[in-house]
Amino acid sequence: MIATVVGSYPRPKWFREYLKRIEGLQKDLDAEVDVEILKKAISEVIEKQREAGIDLMTDGQLIWHDFLATLATRIDGFVMDGLVRYFDNNLYYRKPIVKDRLRRKGDILWDFKLALEIERNVKPVLSCFTLAKLSKNEYYSNFEELLWDLGEIVKEEIRNLNVEFIQFDEPALLFASKGEIEIARDVFKEICKVNARTILMTYFRSAENIFPEVLDFGFDIIGLDFVEGFEANLKLAKEYGLEMINVGIVDARNTRMEDLNDLKAKLEKILEFAKEVYISPNAGLEFLPEVKAFEKMKLVSKLKEAFE
Amino acid sequence: MKTTVVGSYPKPKWLLRMIKLYNEGKIDDKVMNEAYDDAVRAVVKDHEVAGIDIIWDGEMRRDEMTSYFARKIDGFVIYGEVRVWGNNYYPKPAIVDELRYREPLTVHEFEFLRSITDREIKVPITGAYTIVDWSFNEFYKTKEEAVYALAEVINQELRNLVKAGASYIQLDEPAISTHPEELEIARNAVEIMTRGVNAYIGMHICYGDYSGIFPDILDFKVDQLDFEFANRNFEDLKLLKEYDFDKDLGFGCIDVHTKRVESVEEVRRAIEMALEVVDPKRLYIDPDCGLKLLPRDVAFKKLEVMVKAKNAVEREFGLT
Repeated sequence: MIATVVGSYPRPKWFREYLKRIEGLQKDLDAEVDVEILKKAISEVIEKQREAGIDLMTDGQLIWHDFLATLATRIDGFVMDGLVRYFDNNLYYRKPIVKDRLRRKGDILWDFKLALEIERNVKPVLSCFTLAKLSKNEYYSNFEELLWDLGEIVKEEIRNLNVEFIQFDEPALLFASKGEIEIARDVFKEICKVNARTILMTYFRSAENIFPEVLDFGFDIIGLDFVEGFEANLKLAKEYGLEMINVGIVDARNTRMEDLNDLKAKLEKILEFAKEVYISPNAGLEFLPEVKAFEKMKLVSKLKEAFE
Repeated sequence: MKTTVVGSYPKPKWLLRMIKLYNEGKIDDKVMNEAYDDAVRAVVKDHEVAGIDIIWDGEMRRDEMTSYFARKIDGFVIYGEVRVWGNNYYPKPAIVDELRYREPLTVHEFEFLRSITDREIKVPITGAYTIVDWSFNEFYKTKEEAVYALAEVINQELRNLVKAGASYIQLDEPAISTHPEELEIARNAVEIMTRGVNAYIGMHICYGDYSGIFPDILDFKVDQLDFEFANRNFEDLKLLKEYDFDKDLGFGCIDVHTKRVESVEEVRRAIEMALEVVDPKRLYIDPDCGLKLLPRDVAFKKLEVMVKAKNAVEREFGLT
């Protein structure tokens, strides 16, 4: 069993102040950050994860203003528009608009590579379907063409990353139509031909609408939200015999600390059929104040210890 | 037809410095309170000079619209800040125990303001639905239960406000339009909050797509609904026409998200559009939302323009 996290982590307070100082509070963000300062912040967040007992870590996505903007502003063809609510959270993102043919303009995950210089046991986290779905398409004649072009760019990006795991966070899949899921299947099949183990992370609700298609996406590990959709996801995982699974089991969107025995009882049900299990919070931890984010990570590692 | 404000106004720069010193422990409560009082005097003067009919204190004493109240109510704790977007964070409260009334939330603000002005006063307070939606809930089994418990606390405060002499209360519920599926909970909460409260009740809703809450929002037991219109080019007036709007209208006609000061002429035209939907007697003219994020001189100019536009409309229609 491996203890991991989903992606984002609250920014250290001093780093938050630094970004506020260089970027301000309005919509014209994405100033050039000092790489050494960013690296210091990333190493703090990696240290936190290590201290909490997380095995497979992330860079905390510390300069990601929202889940889409970082990718969109690093790919040619997108422009950023007004603020839109991010699923059912009190968190907002700038809506990317596809204005032109999408083109790679250089390194996308350059901030992740800083983390890789500090710690080998980190996984990059990105998205393809969710970015395409939550953007407004004003260029391509249909969604399929958009997703294929974006998929090509993403594939190129991860081709030479030289990491053990690569994770795709795709909450929008859970809100997609059957037609869109079929397109996603074909695109991900291509992307997942990479020389690394691939993780698909889904969250915010249960995953009925992506089964059984998701089994053919090409991902090695499928992540489901066992906080928001425990019963339904348990049924799905059992029915389709998911052997390699990421179990999002600690609530990343509420400060309430779960009872360890309750979590154990839930996890035992999954261990009845799963062989390779990754446990984590059900979403990125930036929904929580820093002190609680840390406690939630410790809870994940305690849960793992309980089974050792 | 009367002019009013939604609530907040830019804090004077010197007040921000005083707050910083206070947080560093360099000045005591007495000096800080005196500073707040003086800031309110300055804001009230701005409002009076601009010619606003129904005023508030600019929320000088409030840092933010959720945690300010949560800190004064038993059952809440604040662990730290979380992000709303970009570099914007707020101290997100968590409900960890039964919510109980402890101390005045806004009566003291009202009493001071009453003592320094003869103008009509509106008291804005964040509603139960919005505070719960913007908080963590560790204690109550459901969000609904938490909302109703907080609504009881706010009801206590509203009764106290009326006892203190308040006659116009505004419930700020910007979260309502972001969850149309929970409208029933918000509606019940309004009934609890206003039970036995003998005052004129308005409700301010901003930041959202109003189409999801119409026409059900018209069933809320409030005298006035206050919306932002300038932010979306007055397109939402269509909704009011479509659903036979039958309440008093708080008509947000000044964009608070831009520093550009509107012309009297464009605001006048906007007010005329509103008059196609409601009678002048039922029209309250105000900015889209609080003005606190604007530079102070811009905020003042916008209020002046708004009053001039209203006067022009009154002359034109012979309403004075």
